[in-house]
Amino acid sequence: MKRDFSYESYLNGTHRLGRIFSVLTLIMLVGAPFAIGGILGAMPDLAAAARGFIAVGLVWTVSAVVEYLVYTPMLGAGGSYLAFITGNLINMKIPCAMNAREMTGAKTGTAENEVISTLSIATSSLVTILVLALGVLLMIPLQPVLQSAVLKPAFANVVPALFGAMACQYFRKDPRLAVVPMCAMTLLFMLVPSLTSSTSMMIMPAGALTITLAWLRWRKERKEAAQS
Amino acid sequence: MDSSVLQQLNSGSIFLICGVIIAVIAVVCVIFIVRAWRAGLALGMDPVRMRRAVTSSATFSILPGVGILLGVLALSGSLGTPWPWLRLSVIGALHYETSVADAAAEQLGVSLGSDSMTVGAFATIALLMSVCIMWGMILATLFNKRYLKRLEGKDPAKKAGGGFGDRAMIAMFIGMVSTYLGSYIGDFVSRAPASSGAEGTYVPSLFSFRGDWTPLVAAAAAAVAMGIFIWLKEKKHLDWVENFAVAGSMLIGMLVVVLVHL
Repeated sequence: MKRDFSYESYLNGTHRLGRIFSVLTLIMLVGAPFAIGGILGAMPDLAAAARGFIAVGLVWTVSAVVEYLVYTPMLGAGGSYLAFITGNLINMKIPCAMNAREMTGAKTGTAENEVISTLSIATSSLVTILVLALGVLLMIPLQPVLQSAVLKPAFANVVPALFGAMACQYFRKDPRLAVVPMCAMTLLFMLVPSLTSSTSMMIMPAGALTITLAWLRWRKERKEAAQS
Repeated sequence: MDSSVLQQLNSGSIFLICGVIIAVIAVVCVIFIVRAWRAGLALGMDPVRMRRAVTSSATFSILPGVGILLGVLALSGSLGTPWPWLRLSVIGALHYETSVADAAAEQLGVSLGSDSMTVGAFATIALLMSVCIMWGMILATLFNKRYLKRLEGKDPAKKAGGGFGDRAMIAMFIGMVSTYLGSYIGDFVSRAPASSGAEGTYVPSLFSFRGDWTPLVAAAAAAVAMGIFIWLKEKKHLDWVENFAVAGSMLIGMLVVVLVHL
């Protein structure tokens, strides 16, 4: 190690920069809809945004807290600031950082891991930015096709397509757990069809029911494990 | 979706706003790379190892990057191109962006990709997308230093793998998916086309089985496609298909809807 280098000061600097850039990103991302609204002459409806937040934002808040607690220790300081700024954690940043760590043989919790994790996540973010920028450039001439009447039903069904894919992905992780919420929600929407216009409001009770069922089973398994 | 609204959402000024934000984040990444590289050298790390970390991460990210690009394509018909480009380049993830956008649209009484979408509705949807996903950054800003300090000396792998956290997250997603799938089934079973009003308007009609079936077709086709992607990965050991699984399944689901409408 170089004599004039202090890992402690490097980490402090990382935290300082990470905080500054996180706040800057927050300001830019929350400010962008207002800037866009200003340019297009239609500002965001704050009351509707608040209602939307209560409906679905709280679910994602729980998810964000869990992700933060689980992934920060794996990513280290620099890696976690960057990962939370640049997103795509589960599908890209975490496996990418783990892969780099394995390839270089860095051990978790060490200074080496801090360096490798930061290099890995920053590189991954830059490559994503580049791939998307090139892709979007290529998409511009395709705009008339994307806006055609034939493709209209496709874009009107983006959300069902997503949840179909997610159903296969998540139900198979715990099919037994999926039975009760799936039956309960199907019955509810069949008996009270007017609720389909406020589907997102039903996410919280469905989520709470499923988490309670998962917790009851987890507690039972722990008891059984303790007894055996 | 009304093509004039989509044209406004794809205008040069919106591209500029989103492009500037993406460029700033790219600069942040460069700053972190330079600092980490210098720190690595100062710590006495082999530059070859660090270079290996950079090159392996770059090559690792190309395929998922293309998968994310397909996500931009999937959202571009309902939110324009620049906004999904920004969200998926910088902070978001496809499943998050789509579900939050849909919930925000619902609160405004519009639906994604439909003619009811307005520029004002878009601005509100964009705001909610920004607000809902900022918690990771806020938590990192407030607690990272103290949290990492507390973890010093502990095995992060053990810390991450244990407890109820992982199961709670899976349970929450199962609850969310059940809600949406239940609503599509309920929509088909207990709704019927309105005798008056615009085409495609449905009203409650208990157990009439005359509601909109296209969301069910889209969901079923996407689920089958996802099943095939999983099978290819697990049984045929084609690990790279995982990078396209979510976006690819969505696009297949959407394509099937187009085909049944022809």
